[in-house]
Amino acid sequence: MIDEPGPWASGAFTLVEGYSRIDTEPVVTDGDDRTWLQTEHRTPTVRLRANPRYWDRARGPRVAEVEFRSDVDPDRALDLVCDTVGEVDVVTEVPHARADRVRHSRHARLVAVDAVRVLAGAIDRGAEGLPLADVRARRALNLAVDRRALVRDVLGGHARPLAGLTPPTPLTALHRAPGRLRSYPHDPGEAARLWRAAGGAERPLRLATLAPWEAVAHTVAAQWHTALGLAVEVTVLRGADAERDARRRQAAKLPRDWDVLVLEQGAQSVDVPPLELHRAFVGRSGEFRAGPVDPTFERLFDRIRMHTSQLGQVLAANRVDRHVTGQALALFLVAPRVLYAVNREVAFRPYATTFELADTSTRRRHWSRR
Amino acid sequence: MLRVVDPSPLNWLYTTYNTVEEPVRVTHRGKVRPAAMSRYRWRDGGRTLEIRVRRGERFADGTPLTTDSVRRAAEEQFRWQAPHPPGTHFNIDPRTRVEVVDDRTVRLHLPEVDGLALGKLRATHVMSERFWRDLGFGYARKGSGEGHW
Repeated sequence: MIDEPGPWASGAFTLVEGYSRIDTEPVVTDGDDRTWLQTEHRTPTVRLRANPRYWDRARGPRVAEVEFRSDVDPDRALDLVCDTVGEVDVVTEVPHARADRVRHSRHARLVAVDAVRVLAGAIDRGAEGLPLADVRARRALNLAVDRRALVRDVLGGHARPLAGLTPPTPLTALHRAPGRLRSYPHDPGEAARLWRAAGGAERPLRLATLAPWEAVAHTVAAQWHTALGLAVEVTVLRGADAERDARRRQAAKLPRDWDVLVLEQGAQSVDVPPLELHRAFVGRSGEFRAGPVDPTFERLFDRIRMHTSQLGQVLAANRVDRHVTGQALALFLVAPRVLYAVNREVAFRPYATTFELADTSTRRRHWSRR
Repeated sequence: MLRVVDPSPLNWLYTTYNTVEEPVRVTHRGKVRPAAMSRYRWRDGGRTLEIRVRRGERFADGTPLTTDSVRRAAEEQFRWQAPHPPGTHFNIDPRTRVEVVDDRTVRLHLPEVDGLALGKLRATHVMSERFWRDLGFGYARKGSGEGHW
């Protein structure tokens, strides 16, 4: 990360005012492996200026300056981009529940991207009083979820059902195709049968999630209750401190106060999703792994490294995904689309894994060009 | 001029990606592609990753981005046990030897095959000499690059 403004690098823009940085706290996930808990620090304004030396002129930069504003909260920012001109041009990470606010606004349009992100649950395979060490029970939890209803009723259509942990984007079709990897169907009858066969529950299941996904958690809890007769206690972790504490305890494999933790995880590229997704939920060094190390997973994951061809990596990644899916090593929910509210006079094309503005431009009627 | 509100907790990373180049970047759809390097190839059965550095690229301070810039970016990150905030899964094996072959070619000699190294170059930020001297990734502020790339 860049601590201070300066002409430090060769990107499309140069940081000329302010900073956006994090303080980090290490957590040992396994042996020499670490992850970092992050606490944000931003100046109210962070200003980027176009770098005239940037080599890729076809890409950009196409605007002279970008101002990141942290002096308005996201709700207020959404009002500003929808109802005013010149205050805010782009708001990222629009909550799904507020998509219609943008769609019906005068000055903004809604832009959505099939991001390389998953909304999934870490399952504590060692939970006492629940049969989650048994693959039949984990399959039952997955079969009892109606993903299409989640997409339609909770996420406003701005998500796609997950099959395994590889988000369905145009470039992951091949990752998902070999072996015909498909979502767990919504099959409450089979889910109930498997749950009973695994021994059922001796106590309520504790389902935790972060605030943005509260409605999803309550819907899943209701679906489990209906299909499995399972009592579910939902806990919502509100605020950065609660989230950080849960991540700290989970990454360090300390005692946890949940049985399933639903959270969003993304990847920085689409080429090898298991590096950041499957590894995080299942791998030996996984920051969300909640159960014993799975030797088969480790062997399959190591095989990805052995391939330098893209096809070889895709096929190896697919084997990882099929194993994770077959063993129901996570709760597979949906791949949420990432939503942006964008001023109508801004030409913005989102990225599936990042937020970059090199090729974003303003139209002739944009407020800054009048 | 654009005004942006980005509540993402990864804003620090997006600020980096908007101002810094790495040997590779990702396309709109998320695919890794060359950036500060113009092309690459695997050699020695996957134990050597050869990078061709783009000709004529310059930092914002006007100094040239060279093979030495790429070498230093790699070697600086090898100094730390866990430089990348997401975690050690982004590490390229620190035993990797970096060889500057000529004025456009750098080879990463990996101790063992790691096909994931190409994508991990996304986290290898190529910086100017002035950056390493005056700021560094946490060097000036924290005295350490751990968790600060």
